[in-house]
Amino acid sequence: MTTISAATQQATAAVPPVGRQDVNRKRLARMGWLFAAPALIFVAGVTIFPILYSVLMSVRNVTVSGSGFAQSGITWANYSAVIHSSVWRYALVFTIVYTIVTVAVELALGTMIALVLERLAGGRGWMMALLLIPWSMITVINAELWGYIYEATYGALQAIFGALGLGHPNVLGTSTPAIIGMMVADIWKTTPFVAIIVLAGLVMLPGDVYEAAEIDGSSGWSTFWRITVPLLRPTLALAVMFRVLQAFGLFDLPYVLTGGGPGTATTSLAVLGYKAMFQNLDFGGGAAVATSTALLVLLGCLLSLRTFRVQVGKENT
Amino acid sequence: MRNRKRTGWHRVINGVNISTFFVVIFIGAPMYWLIASSFKTPANIGVDPPQWFPNPLSTANYKSAFVQYDFGIYFRNSLIVTLIATALVLVMGTLAGYALGRLPMRGKFTMLVALLMISVFPEIALIAPLYLLLRHLGWLNSYQALIIPYTAFNLPFAIWILRNYMLGIPKEMEETGRIDGASPLRTVWSIILPQSLPGIFTAGIFCFTACWTEFLMALTFNISNNFRTIPVGVSQFGTIDVTPYATIFAAAVVATVPIGILVFIFRKFVISGLTSGAVKG
Repeated sequence: MTTISAATQQATAAVPPVGRQDVNRKRLARMGWLFAAPALIFVAGVTIFPILYSVLMSVRNVTVSGSGFAQSGITWANYSAVIHSSVWRYALVFTIVYTIVTVAVELALGTMIALVLERLAGGRGWMMALLLIPWSMITVINAELWGYIYEATYGALQAIFGALGLGHPNVLGTSTPAIIGMMVADIWKTTPFVAIIVLAGLVMLPGDVYEAAEIDGSSGWSTFWRITVPLLRPTLALAVMFRVLQAFGLFDLPYVLTGGGPGTATTSLAVLGYKAMFQNLDFGGGAAVATSTALLVLLGCLLSLRTFRVQVGKENT
Repeated sequence: MRNRKRTGWHRVINGVNISTFFVVIFIGAPMYWLIASSFKTPANIGVDPPQWFPNPLSTANYKSAFVQYDFGIYFRNSLIVTLIATALVLVMGTLAGYALGRLPMRGKFTMLVALLMISVFPEIALIAPLYLLLRHLGWLNSYQALIIPYTAFNLPFAIWILRNYMLGIPKEMEETGRIDGASPLRTVWSIILPQSLPGIFTAGIFCFTACWTEFLMALTFNISNNFRTIPVGVSQFGTIDVTPYATIFAAAVVATVPIGILVFIFRKFVISGLTSGAVKG
């Protein structure tokens, strides 16, 4: 039943129910909705309605008083303020650049690690455990750990640099080093997980293709680019898409490691939205920042709709 | 097969082992630094050059995490919120995953794409309306303030994992149950559930980790010290001027214990998943 594609499914449904098979199908479909209902209602109630409310809030005058919030009118002032603010524009560019760089590095390093581990003769289980630990680490703690490493007067990094005669850098004190330092912390935490996903994809690849390539005298490098990469593409596409969309919500790391600074050098869209709402109590403006972030993610989702579809439809075709 | 052939080449064996060594250093060095620093005495945490090996070893930081900073409270809160949310996700997710994976529902294709999209939606977009809603209900500073959003946020991905896993179960098995006249719930309980345990475990690990590490909502919704979870509690250690790194790292080591145990068990599932894939290939 599950092997029937969506198209044939609709075609069968269009035929009036005559045989026992169809009655049975209807009963099973009803049961399916019954089973799925609690989860679907829960998810819709806690995510979709707040999203709509957030959109509404972003086009209203929200005023905060001692007793609560008041909303009035319909206004584009929040969006206009956001778009004309240089801080928002910087946060947008920063978030996009940060996302592209970290995901690209994580993918390249993760694939390299996976290729190495695939050839590893023994101890793969232990390597797996080692790879899973950074992934499961609380991001706040990861931020504190790198904060200690980057500390300007007694951190490990300045000591190592000093011993090598490279001076004593104050990583988090200046903009560009702070951004790079944050990227390193992110790459350290996330690359192992990308490696696991790629490794799982690698192991699933059919072995006979490689044997054929070997007989044809294909070299390691060209085998990688002409066979491994194309076959891995669905796995890589899903990993990239998830990472890109997640990285766009970047909050924990800059909030704890740098506080968005120095200045606003590491202020991501999420940090900006949070500070607007909960430190400056500008809920309309914060909602506008949040909604614009959400719209960008939605745009990303729609652009990668094909990847989603391929994933869902893989077993259905 | 492929692996055996590759490892036969001596040059590759060396290359692989050296690369593995660098991978271990790359991942292990910061982890070593965290654990080692948690055992330094408070005076030695801030010396330059840093102590590469803690000397003398001290457990003072572990004590201060629990006594001076209420780490015990944060740990308890994290455990309550995470366990309840994970249980809710697994119960609802298993039923929904079964329905979307194995029952002939119309529109389940669209439903799955929508769920996948929700699972990558940024939290920041929902934080303000959820805050106002919780405030309206008087639920700020409570366990349900976190349990409800955590459940909703982790359900889509759990459904996705479980649905994929259940697609692989041969359908003759549940048909036997149906012919025997077992009720639908019974079919799920006694035929589907035992077959899906590895999938349920994987979904559980993902959910547990996500709840255990979540920061933004916990920071916003639960301001009272009695309802803070580990990530928020740890981020508030110390004062504006002083960050007590050693105490934070001691707390970090303790916080990793539950997840470390799960990951250690999970490791075997990852391998079994990988090797079964290799057999198929």
